[in-house]
Amino acid sequence: MIKTIAARVWAFFRSFQLTIVLLALLMCLVVLCTLAQVEMGTQGAVNAYMRSFVVWHQFSGLPFPLPMFPGGALVGLLLTLNLIAKTLDIKLSWGKAGMWLVHFGLVVLFAGEFVAGMMQVDTNMSIEVGQTVNFVQSYKNTELALIDVTDPTWDEVYSVPDTLLARGGSIAVPGTPITLKVKRYFPNAELSNRAEGTPPSMATAGIGPSVSVVEQPLVSADNEMNQASAFVEPVAAGHSYGVWLVSVGLGAPQSFIHEGHNYVLSMRLRRQYLPYAFTLKQFRHDVYPGTDIPKNFSSLVQITNPSRHESREALIYMNQPLRYEGKTFYQASFGKNDTLSVLSVVENPGWLLPYVSCVLVAIGLLAHFAIVLRRSLKRRQDKKEG
Amino acid sequence: MPNLSAPLPRFRPTPLKTSLLIGSGLLSLALGCRSDEVSHFRVPKEAPFAQSGPRPAMPPMPMGERTGEPAGAPGATPDMPPPPAPRASLKWSLPRGWSEQPGGGTMRFATFKAPFEGKLEATVVVLPGQAGGELANVNRWRGQIGLPGYDEAGLAKARTVLRTKAGALNVYDFTSEGQVKSRMVAGYISTPDGNTWFLKLTGDAAPVAKAKSDFMSILGSVRLD
Repeated sequence: MIKTIAARVWAFFRSFQLTIVLLALLMCLVVLCTLAQVEMGTQGAVNAYMRSFVVWHQFSGLPFPLPMFPGGALVGLLLTLNLIAKTLDIKLSWGKAGMWLVHFGLVVLFAGEFVAGMMQVDTNMSIEVGQTVNFVQSYKNTELALIDVTDPTWDEVYSVPDTLLARGGSIAVPGTPITLKVKRYFPNAELSNRAEGTPPSMATAGIGPSVSVVEQPLVSADNEMNQASAFVEPVAAGHSYGVWLVSVGLGAPQSFIHEGHNYVLSMRLRRQYLPYAFTLKQFRHDVYPGTDIPKNFSSLVQITNPSRHESREALIYMNQPLRYEGKTFYQASFGKNDTLSVLSVVENPGWLLPYVSCVLVAIGLLAHFAIVLRRSLKRRQDKKEG
Repeated sequence: MPNLSAPLPRFRPTPLKTSLLIGSGLLSLALGCRSDEVSHFRVPKEAPFAQSGPRPAMPPMPMGERTGEPAGAPGATPDMPPPPAPRASLKWSLPRGWSEQPGGGTMRFATFKAPFEGKLEATVVVLPGQAGGELANVNRWRGQIGLPGYDEAGLAKARTVLRTKAGALNVYDFTSEGQVKSRMVAGYISTPDGNTWFLKLTGDAAPVAKAKSDFMSILGSVRLD
């Protein structure tokens, strides 16, 4: 019985019909994703269509979204399993070694894209000339940072991701006596001064009582940002410190003191702190002589890494990124009259896989060619002798 | 040289191998799972940087198309103006051992350094207009150290008025509850140019108690420039 089921599952995964269906689905996804970019922006469309297992759609009148189409991740995964099954189906002989290598190389290519899609983290580092920065920040994801700034030398940063805030409820902050009660979370909101006569704010502490918050629909266009906001109540030792409004749209952080510890509340883009720091020593924006046409953008940074006793310079410029500690730093943008450099930072544990795949496929094709050539020459030889 | 024509054992599907295939699929599903939890970092304090302002998100765009911060840059506070350069500035006299530096933090006009051990900080902030009003600001300070807010009657009762050469300066003194007490001594004064000045001494109760008389002499010495 089990063997029959196993054989049927195997037959399903190795079938050529499955390959045709999956390739057709992939082509449909490419078209749908391209069209969706108009409204959703590049990142929004890619996340919804290509990097999800299912494409969901929210119909008006229904309280929950419905699955509409298999997503790129599911189609890619099935294609990879289909390819693995077909590869294992190739006759195991030295004569087929080339085909094995080619198919295995393709499997590695698929696996590389899957790893990139699931595990790649895109962040950025904004750094001004003379400034030292030891973190990268997300483009879209936000966090509520509860920072204990009591120590004169160190800050203890407790980061609550937006996905956790969205769930609501109480969030205990490990390492502190603070529990944050999320009263309300807005993925995007518009803030303005609260006018006289309007209903009182949910906030009772900090700047919140004088700010009006109006929820807005989510934006996903490339040049737009969602102003994530929330009303949170810090509670410690049974004592409430009031309800605070925290928002990406509020510049100045707010603070309260509990048992001699000064805690700062700040809603900001999600940060990943690094065990090293970059100091921007120089940013260059060169143009071709006599024109305004950009010729070169480069950032000269000083890398300081205490754990490796390292302090050295590195030049990051167009098409010449810096690969350091598992991250790749690209020169992406600039501003503030050429005093601000923005580095795009990519962390992809599978970045080598496409290169490995290309080498395997190339070797496999060469091996297959050599094997077929040898066989052909041998047949000709046998024919001559015969 | 291997014998190319010698066949190797053929791959036959078995329950084990099928399970391995499905298992690798499930494992790859797990790759994308990221758990949402509170993260903790211990980081050195950010050194004050004169030019730094709100940190832009800067989504990647072709080089040469950006010459300033994008509209709606996160961290920008549309309704909170930057620290103003007040036209009628306040001056004060510092007691022996105290020093002053301009700025020193967000929205800060000046920061005092007191010659006392322990956790305490003295700051001067100036904001345009009424800056939300006295009651709202006093309750915000009280909320920061976990104390309940006042009504107008409670505010009047808690207020001490100092007569200075710059006008009436209202002083408030709060101490938190709990095992480790925090204390705040705050002075509040409006100047003829329409700005509101906040002079605050905050920190642990013991060092603030030691520094209070010096701070009160600073408040008493306030005058218009």
